[in-house]
Amino acid sequence: MILVILVATVLIAAIISAISKDSIRIKTYTTLISSIITLWLSIRIALDVVTSSSHIITAIPYWISIDGLGALIVLLVSVVYFTASIFSIGYMKFDIASSSKLYYVNFNLFVFSMLIIPLIKEPNTVWIAVELTTLFSVLLVGFENTNAAIEAAWKYIVLTIMGAAIALLGFLILYWAARQAGVEHYTWSALLIAAPQMSPVLLKASFIFILVGFGAKIGLVPLHTWLPDAHSQAPSPVCALLSGVETTAILYVILRLLPIMSASLAIDVNTWLSIIGLISVGTAAFLLLQVKDYKRLFAFSTVEHMGIILVAFGLGGASAHIAAVLQMIGHTLTKSFAFYAAGSVLLIMGTRDIASVRNLIKKSPISGVALLLGGLAIAGAPPFVLFLSEFSIIKAGLSQGKYIIVGILVLFIAIAFFAIMNHVSRMVFGKDEKKSSEQIAPVTLPISTKITLGIAIIPIVIFGVYIPETLNKLIILAAAIVGGS
Amino acid sequence: MQTLQNTLPLITSLNALVGGLFMITAFGIVVTRQIRAGLKFFIFQSILLAASAFLLGIKPFSIDLLIVGVINLVTKVWLLPLLLRHMVKKEIYTRREITQVFNIPTSLIIALVLTILAYFFTLPWIETQTVLSIIHVNVPVGLAGLLLGAFTLIARREAVPQLLGLLAMENGAFFAGVAIAPDLPLIAELALAFDILMLTFVIGILTRTVNEHTGNTSVGSLAKLKEGVQK
Amino acid sequence: MSKYILFNVMQVLVVMAFSPLAMGVLNRLKEIVQSKRGPSIFQPYWDLLKLFRKDEVVPKESSWIFRFTPYIVFITPIFVTLLIPVLTDYPLFWAFMSDMVGAGFVLALGGFFAVLAAIDTANPYGAMGASRTRMVGFLAEPVFLIVFFTVSFVANSTIPYIVQQKWVISLSDFFEPSHILLLIAFIMLILAEKGRIPVDNPSGHFELAMIEESKDLEYSGSGAALMKWGGWMKFFVLMIIFLNVLFTPWGLASTLHWGAVLLAIPLVLFKIFIFILFLVFIESSLAKLRLFRISEFLSTAFVIAVIAMLTSIFQYGGK
Repeated sequence: MILVILVATVLIAAIISAISKDSIRIKTYTTLISSIITLWLSIRIALDVVTSSSHIITAIPYWISIDGLGALIVLLVSVVYFTASIFSIGYMKFDIASSSKLYYVNFNLFVFSMLIIPLIKEPNTVWIAVELTTLFSVLLVGFENTNAAIEAAWKYIVLTIMGAAIALLGFLILYWAARQAGVEHYTWSALLIAAPQMSPVLLKASFIFILVGFGAKIGLVPLHTWLPDAHSQAPSPVCALLSGVETTAILYVILRLLPIMSASLAIDVNTWLSIIGLISVGTAAFLLLQVKDYKRLFAFSTVEHMGIILVAFGLGGASAHIAAVLQMIGHTLTKSFAFYAAGSVLLIMGTRDIASVRNLIKKSPISGVALLLGGLAIAGAPPFVLFLSEFSIIKAGLSQGKYIIVGILVLFIAIAFFAIMNHVSRMVFGKDEKKSSEQIAPVTLPISTKITLGIAIIPIVIFGVYIPETLNKLIILAAAIVGGS
Repeated sequence: MQTLQNTLPLITSLNALVGGLFMITAFGIVVTRQIRAGLKFFIFQSILLAASAFLLGIKPFSIDLLIVGVINLVTKVWLLPLLLRHMVKKEIYTRREITQVFNIPTSLIIALVLTILAYFFTLPWIETQTVLSIIHVNVPVGLAGLLLGAFTLIARREAVPQLLGLLAMENGAFFAGVAIAPDLPLIAELALAFDILMLTFVIGILTRTVNEHTGNTSVGSLAKLKEGVQK
Repeated sequence: MSKYILFNVMQVLVVMAFSPLAMGVLNRLKEIVQSKRGPSIFQPYWDLLKLFRKDEVVPKESSWIFRFTPYIVFITPIFVTLLIPVLTDYPLFWAFMSDMVGAGFVLALGGFFAVLAAIDTANPYGAMGASRTRMVGFLAEPVFLIVFFTVSFVANSTIPYIVQQKWVISLSDFFEPSHILLLIAFIMLILAEKGRIPVDNPSGHFELAMIEESKDLEYSGSGAALMKWGGWMKFFVLMIIFLNVLFTPWGLASTLHWGAVLLAIPLVLFKIFIFILFLVFIESSLAKLRLFRISEFLSTAFVIAVIAMLTSIFQYGGK
């Protein structure tokens, strides 16, 4: 029941934003209230999943239910939904309010489509939910209605829908394999049980197609080209959703497939994941060195993190899986914060160009500090949660004796760290070369932006040093599901 | 070949004929010069998809597949062209030659290579199945349709042909789907149909916006966002 | 045995006698479709008669090839007629000599000499027409080959008498994709090979735009008559191959009786009449393609033929 309420809340918010014609205020507060309710409900769901004996909540048998991994994704979506709703208030005030009619409708529908991915048990329907995330978010990407934004939106929809069509064939092949094995109720868990009887040829084919198809959606190299465009051109709160949670939510679908593939002995999933992940991390690390746009900087960092997560899952073993799940959490929380910080810089400076942002700490101390913290956090500096997770991944890899993979990974992470900190420190502390930029009238950040930055930083810092007991249990549950039990 | 002759020979060969025509329409979408002709090829392809669903639904009788065929006819043959004509009327009805990345014979040869690749990809999959001989045609043709649709995206620089490429990819996946997943839940089928209409709608909006911004719909020339280029 | 030889000769006579008539009917029908009266359907006979009675003029610069060519152009379709099922569905006396590929080579030989002769005259239009004919020919050749490959793949043979049995025994075989798609490709080939619309306009009189006609511009008298007659017979033979081998091998004599064979003549002529109606429909509804679009027309035929082959491979899954 609670699952249905969760989804219904967001849907009602979308409907209200659609029918309230011109009142931006109603839309804003509806979305804010809905996000608070969603956050509360998802915490309840997470608690219920952790405390209940079966660790599963079912709303409709074979169709809608949730387990540890799903609860984690729902929780992450809700957290970013909440912070992005607050951030949107200030963003909307700054932006032209006339064209913003559809913003909140799409915003809520986008969150809705991401929330249903972990709830649905029937894989083909999950595919539809994934396609909906693209369709609802593409107009948000093109929201600013500049040439560049439209171009980004076009690349986004063409590449991801192309990926989705490839993945569709993968899902149909998976269904075929399940039919051959005599699966009655087609769900993730039924697939897991039937996996040893399914044809390895078909399983392998479906996994390749789904990995390639959804790899386009989570920005795996070489299908990543749309990602920096879309994630940099979208409005900052949307960037936080796209980069922070959309990737994680799609990754969830691939994670669902991992235990099924591992159950069939003929497929060496782990090696593939490691190789694909390393390619992504490496490409992103070198591209990070030469970015000219600070939102693209964070977007490439998303490609890097997705690669790291895949490598971590590819290492195999419970400790690596737990570290990878932690990395997912860290990525979501940190990346959304980083985009809020970038959004606040954009509000102050009015440009995305790294070279024309200098001496930020003097112009706007809050943005400067936020950008610096965001840069440190996504690069994986010590007090933050990503340091903890990346450290655990490396530790897990070393304890398994996979020195080559870990060695390459560490090298790439170091390059990425250097690249990010190089750009960020120059933006924050660098001396201003051009005097003309002084003429820009000082803009004060809206109060909502400051609140968002304040809220979003808390979990990043806290989880870096201390992970609450319940969350820890949830992480272990999620990792165990990916591990196949 | 023997089992094939024994089981429903007429339906099998009609279905294979539909498969062959399906591939021809996929080739047509890749190489046609007129946007309108491309749309007609797509409509014809969707009719063929429905025809395959009907043929496979007749025997062994499966009400699911018949409904799938009807859903296909309604959404792709009737609603989708209606929507497209409404949203990007000018694009479709202006008679002009659309630019291509490769010349037509090159495109055709690449497309043929992709089709042959599709056959070799699917050969081991088909061998997992022992009973149904009908999938011999549907699976490779479906994969070929998917690949040719993807190739259309590469070979075309215009908005509407790229949309047709995307839709052709989904058609390809469905063409394999009617053979390998005939009893998909109806909710999924309906949602898929809805999804395709949504896609057309969203791309229609985007195409209009592109047209407003650049004065044409040559999306291939949108290439401002790149690494290392100062804007 | 004597009947085998007799019937074989009769096939040749039928082809020789009725090929001008087929052309006359085609021309008349086209004019009628264009709301004109058109010439009599027997006009080609009068043309031949007139040409045979005239003197022949030979260009000074030309060599023996020019004088030799009309006979080759005239003989090659007759030779092919000996090989294919025109009236009977069993092989006749000379049918052992070659299969469909061989027949194709023999037909191509006539075309090759016609091209040589056109260049031989040193008339610039002749050479231009020759180069264009070769262009069409080069593009059509791979399609011919694929068609033959597919036929031999499906029927396990290229002997026309075996091929014609393959696709018509049951309805399901008739609807095989390899069959239907090959038919489409073959019609396109006939159009290209004989210079019909949309590849070439046979009734055009503008030398710069000609493809097929410009090759025999220099011929006169009996040479011109043989060239024309040979061309008509080639067209007739192609239609026979299409109808009696690939599309509708019905209505042929299956016994050695005189009656059965004689009855086959009107039936075959009726099939050809239907096909001519179809051709008229095509020629009246399409426009001639620009020269450089011909490659696309033929690559379409090529793709259709290849898909015909691929689908049949898909269908049998390598078994």
